[in-house]
Amino acid sequence: MSDSFTISDEQRDYSTFGLSGNPFPYSPVPDDEPLVYCGQEDVTDRISETVSSVLSTGKSKHLVVTGKYGNGKSHTLKYTRSLVRDREDVLVGYVAQPGDGFLDIYHEFVYDIGFDRMQELSYEFLAEVARTETDRNPMGASSMKSLIDDGEVLLSDLVPTAVQRLSDVTKFADFARAIVHLIYEDTNLYAWQWLTAEGLRYEQRKEMEIHSAIDDDTSAVRAFTALKNMLLELGYTGVFMFVDEFERIAQLSPKDEQATLNSIRHLMDQNGNGLCILFGCAPEVWQDVMSEYHAFSERIGQEVALQPLTEEKVHTLVEGYLNLVRENGSEGIEPFTEEGLQVVLQRSQGNIRQILSICSRVLDDAVDDHHSGQIGEELVIGTLEEM
Amino acid sequence: MLFRQQALETPHGDLQTPVLFPVSNIGKRSSDNTPEYTESVPDLSTAMVNARAIRNRDPQWERFEDGTPLREEMGVSEDTVVFADSGGFDFQDETVDTTPAKTLETQQQIDADIYGTVDVPLSRDNRQAENQRRISESIDLALEASRRHNGDEVLLGSVHGYDPETVRNSIQHLEREGDFDGYAIGSLVPIRTDYEKVTKIILAARRATDKHLHVYGLGGLTYQPLLLYLGVDSFDSSAFIRSAGNRNYLIPGFGGEPLKNVEELSHLPCACPVCSTRTFKAVRNDRDLLVQHNVWALALELRRFRYMAAADEDLEAYLDLRFAGNEVTKRAYRLAKQQVRRLT
Ligand SMILES: [Zn+2]
Repeated sequence: MSDSFTISDEQRDYSTFGLSGNPFPYSPVPDDEPLVYCGQEDVTDRISETVSSVLSTGKSKHLVVTGKYGNGKSHTLKYTRSLVRDREDVLVGYVAQPGDGFLDIYHEFVYDIGFDRMQELSYEFLAEVARTETDRNPMGASSMKSLIDDGEVLLSDLVPTAVQRLSDVTKFADFARAIVHLIYEDTNLYAWQWLTAEGLRYEQRKEMEIHSAIDDDTSAVRAFTALKNMLLELGYTGVFMFVDEFERIAQLSPKDEQATLNSIRHLMDQNGNGLCILFGCAPEVWQDVMSEYHAFSERIGQEVALQPLTEEKVHTLVEGYLNLVRENGSEGIEPFTEEGLQVVLQRSQGNIRQILSICSRVLDDAVDDHHSGQIGEELVIGTLEEM
Repeated sequence: MLFRQQALETPHGDLQTPVLFPVSNIGKRSSDNTPEYTESVPDLSTAMVNARAIRNRDPQWERFEDGTPLREEMGVSEDTVVFADSGGFDFQDETVDTTPAKTLETQQQIDADIYGTVDVPLSRDNRQAENQRRISESIDLALEASRRHNGDEVLLGSVHGYDPETVRNSIQHLEREGDFDGYAIGSLVPIRTDYEKVTKIILAARRATDKHLHVYGLGGLTYQPLLLYLGVDSFDSSAFIRSAGNRNYLIPGFGGEPLKNVEELSHLPCACPVCSTRTFKAVRNDRDLLVQHNVWALALELRRFRYMAAADEDLEAYLDLRFAGNEVTKRAYRLAKQQVRRLT
């Protein structure tokens, strides 16, 4: 849970309910690392199948998760991301929304990966080169860094070979130079700026002998593909990209929308291996895409839809959150009663976002009004009337 | 504060550092002669010579092989501490035409005290791959010199690089694989106007080793106080000859002033033995006198700094004053100060 909850935890005392705090998120934005996920089996099955298939075969596979606003798309993507991110053999990036096109998607993706992780990849590639070019055997970024710091290997021996090999692997010499420059303190911020497609002045590029810029969808596809190919060379299984709120492409001009879809199609065509893109998209926009852009939808044949929660799911969800803060031996949906949750379900129509928001308010109101024991129908209705 | 004072043991006696090595043009086919200065400036019994140039000048080399001592040929006193670099700077545009073995042999033959290893300097215009190749080549040459050298002379490994990581990495590598008494940073002359870069590189070197640290080619009036501040142990300069060639009169704190811009003056403002007893006209019209004064100017700058340190004055405050008059050097010093403070 986010830090901002702590203050109200101190002000309110939830102990009469056997809870150490209010576990339900106040904010409608899903946590970056969701602790509770109330999966809908067909959805989790399809995601698991897609992810596992990429991990086991190395072949690319993509999936669209559709669902109406508030039904948990972001939550699903972020939860999946947190599971995949723990693996050491993949690189995972999250894109909150597609922006104006693939250039923006690429920018957000690299930005989410972050400078430190990219710099680590640079050292990992140098380690790869050191293993073949020297008698040293660095197994990762940090051991490579200490070999350099201790002078056990010569940077000037490694760097030209690293640039050459990375250029061969990625077919993008400028990309190779930028990656290698991430290890130099004088140029690493320029290299990072270039890699995130933020643009660089001529003199700054010249310092790194970089001639081009990542400034349109085409070069962004090229850079993304270069990054993925570098990772495969390093022995990674693949790259996972999560693109949320994909429905926003409907707000673009028809020309830009088409261009974005085309770029993603090119990306998929050029990356038959090691790429998994999970989109979160409103169902109506996805239907339009399916019917209007066959070339695109053919490549993401898979779609899975998030439904409003059933009564059973609401129970599981609420129980999951409450279990995070239990202090006594209570269990199930306590302090909520069955009837109380029924009202929550009816009012929210199974929309996760609303369920969490109602539960949060009800619990706080119950504490403020000095209730104890159970939160039943009456209390929930009372709170809903004030909301 | 990185300024430090040490004693460097050499075959011609202990050398108190930090110290300047005035470049001697012996061996070069040059019309400019280095004047005798080691007698007149008592704390400047040092000279920097170019081993390759000496070796390549046949008649002179024959005299050395016949037993003529270098110091006699140069007209400097017996106990002058001589630093013989490899002459690498001349390879800027050419390929290396010497070997560590040949250079060591020359350095021994002329009885030098400090040996610089053969190196291939970098150029800002080179492709990076070419500079990286040169950096590695210089390191290989230094390691070979280390393997071959087993005398009492001071062996300094020449190190090149246009970024802190490379310089740090190179020094650590030489430290690990070879046996050096210290290190000498080269290739900074072509980028000398990029004070921030030069400062970073020197600081990286200073942090990488506690041993003797020399900086090639930047011992002129502007850089000298900066190098002292950054904890450099020795440096060399040919500025006093080159300036005199342009009739430039060096004044610490101001830099060089072309004497042709100066009119109607009876005496110059310097108290050195050259200027204090001669008229303005006499100094202006005699290039040798100008060279001698310029050596004095460099020596006095060093003395002044040492005095401030000995008097326990705040050296940063002294340098604040020293650099106040020139926007460029003031900025350079400010950058250096920021970087030094970040370290300490
Ligand atoms: Zn004078």
